[in-house]
Amino acid sequence: MQELIIGWLYPTLMSTYGDRGNVITIERRAQWRGYSVKVLPLDRDSTAADIKSVDVIVGGGAQDRQQEIVMRDLQGAKADAMREKIENGTPGVFTCGSPQLLGHYYEPGLGQRIQGLGILDLVSIHPGENTKRCIGNLVIEVTASRLAQDLEEMTGSKPYLVGFENHGGRTKLGKVEALGRVVYGLGNNGEDGTEGAFYQNAIATYSHGPLLPKNPFVADWLIQTALRLKYQQAIALQPLDDILAVQAREAMFKRLKVSL
Amino acid sequence: MDVGNKIRLIDRLRLGFAVLIAKTVTFIVRSLRLGAASVLPGSIARRIEPQLLQLLSQQVKNGVILIAGTNGKTTTSLLLKTILERKGYRVAHNSTGANLENGLMTALLESTNLVGTLDADYAILEVDENIVPKVLTPLQPRIILCLNLFRDQLDRYGEVDTISKRWTKVISTLPPETVVIPNADDPTLSYLGQQLPQRVLFFGLNEPEQYLEAIPHAVDSIYCPKCGHSLDYQGVYLSHLGDFTCPNCGFSKSKPTLESKEWQQILVGLYNKYNTLAAVTAAQDLGIDEATIKDTINNFQAAFGRAEDLVIEGKRVRILLSKNPVGTNETIRVVNQSTDTTTLMVLNDRTPDGTDVSWIWDVDTEKLVERGGTLVVSGDRVYDMALRLRYSEKSTQSNLNLIVEEDLRQAIATALKHTPDNETLHILPTYSAMLEVREVLTGRKIL
Ligand SMILES: [Zn+2]
Repeated sequence: MQELIIGWLYPTLMSTYGDRGNVITIERRAQWRGYSVKVLPLDRDSTAADIKSVDVIVGGGAQDRQQEIVMRDLQGAKADAMREKIENGTPGVFTCGSPQLLGHYYEPGLGQRIQGLGILDLVSIHPGENTKRCIGNLVIEVTASRLAQDLEEMTGSKPYLVGFENHGGRTKLGKVEALGRVVYGLGNNGEDGTEGAFYQNAIATYSHGPLLPKNPFVADWLIQTALRLKYQQAIALQPLDDILAVQAREAMFKRLKVSL
Repeated sequence: MDVGNKIRLIDRLRLGFAVLIAKTVTFIVRSLRLGAASVLPGSIARRIEPQLLQLLSQQVKNGVILIAGTNGKTTTSLLLKTILERKGYRVAHNSTGANLENGLMTALLESTNLVGTLDADYAILEVDENIVPKVLTPLQPRIILCLNLFRDQLDRYGEVDTISKRWTKVISTLPPETVVIPNADDPTLSYLGQQLPQRVLFFGLNEPEQYLEAIPHAVDSIYCPKCGHSLDYQGVYLSHLGDFTCPNCGFSKSKPTLESKEWQQILVGLYNKYNTLAAVTAAQDLGIDEATIKDTINNFQAAFGRAEDLVIEGKRVRILLSKNPVGTNETIRVVNQSTDTTTLMVLNDRTPDGTDVSWIWDVDTEKLVERGGTLVVSGDRVYDMALRLRYSEKSTQSNLNLIVEEDLRQAIATALKHTPDNETLHILPTYSAMLEVREVLTGRKIL
């Protein structure tokens, strides 16, 4: 039986706003298709070898203090392992706080700048306690070309993602490709119309919600990419009954008066 | 007449004028049946009189009791209010869940006559976490109850750490005779209490037999609020509330004033034990005798909607407010302790609920789904809830009867139909959904 190992970044430190929903979605969609699934927490007790052993990585958001604790831990061999995984194409979904730590740095509203791993060419800055958080429903069109193409092939239509953003920090992209363009909501910074980032096979986004339950084709893309890389063979996933996700998406498009 | 007195007189005249206008508006709103008069008049009076909150609260004879925290504000308030009323005190209270500034003012205006004289012995004010720092100085409370800090509606409130830091900063500036009553089992609040110069009375549990088997996922604060190291838990009562110490800096749970085992609790669920202990600690500090307190606890009726039993068409219906991960894990625990087979979940995302529904993924709905039976879902975000429940199943071969019904009225009818005659239908709604459910069940509009 083929096995999928999900690496979950610091579950007790980085899991705000239901981000474990992404872990649950990948886990179930693989289990329902008969794959064996292991969820491996990548926390302070884990080693660089643990990080190297996973097939897909999920990271969530964190409070500022927790983010600091994570960055103190993710140093040396562990940081190298993380960098190597992402550079070598291990797929992952990183929400809110975790893209901030994959970038160059994050400046919290109060306190010191937190250095990131510098894997993604982006910086995030919290403009201060008195600035409004970016909160609300979010719809984006995936524009990262390779991902957009893959998703369009899987679904037969242009890939739109539905989520909920909730962040104080603003992200500016360097040379890294954006994940998508904002159709409804604020995205990276509320100014340039970009949302998230896409690098190798890492998806970075401000979209909680969580992202994957209402965008199941992204979950399938992650599973497929992970298994293809691991077993070096083409992977065909059985279709699942996604009627509830379709209805949830349609209800949100209708409410936001977004016509696609 | 000296200058001070003159200002005082002008203040009173302006206050009287503000009160008059606000009362007129309340009257008009009510006679035209425009709906909630619970927030509007305060907002109008406030435009006229910027110091209104301070001028009103100064007149509360025996002092203001401020109640803050994510869960349990209303239940705790109602218990404390009932205890005080048993002793013949007149108590002002913002009873309709209006816990923002306008709601506080409206509550105080209710007890105020047309020239601005307030007639209440106590004011019990439920206060939204986020406005606590803003209202502490004008209210100058005699007692501050800090019930708990959970991840709830973070879209409005920001983060738990930030909130407690702000509270600590402002409370420290209040007079030394202010009494602060924090939850000892909540690390953030235990730490808050330990830092304050005021008199601090902690409440908490001392009942290791109630420990959970494992720390649930919906946990905010298991890191030392003092140094950031992981806390060692001897045991957890619910969420992050428990018995803890920090192996790094020595920070540990503060000792509660009351022995929790000696006190009966109101209503079901462990969180109501906390509500009870909080209210009792305050009541005792106000000098209320033990016999009156114990008698009130024994006779206490459910605070409206929060854990309420109704009989509809001969079937028992129990409404258990489920508005955040911790509360919902607890209400699921209550459902699982019964043998009843039908549950209705209603998820709304309006302002009083929090517009972000992602918290449902932090709830251990697996525990509800594992037991099978019939689960009906409804509400503004019915499909989000349905997805959460679907993803709680390990296999696609489901023994769960999941019914998705957009229309709430229809959902309630369906759930009642599926409930056998000798069973109770459990309804788990968010806040605004609870009001709607109650309206459908009783035919009466509440707000
Ligand atoms: Zn410590």
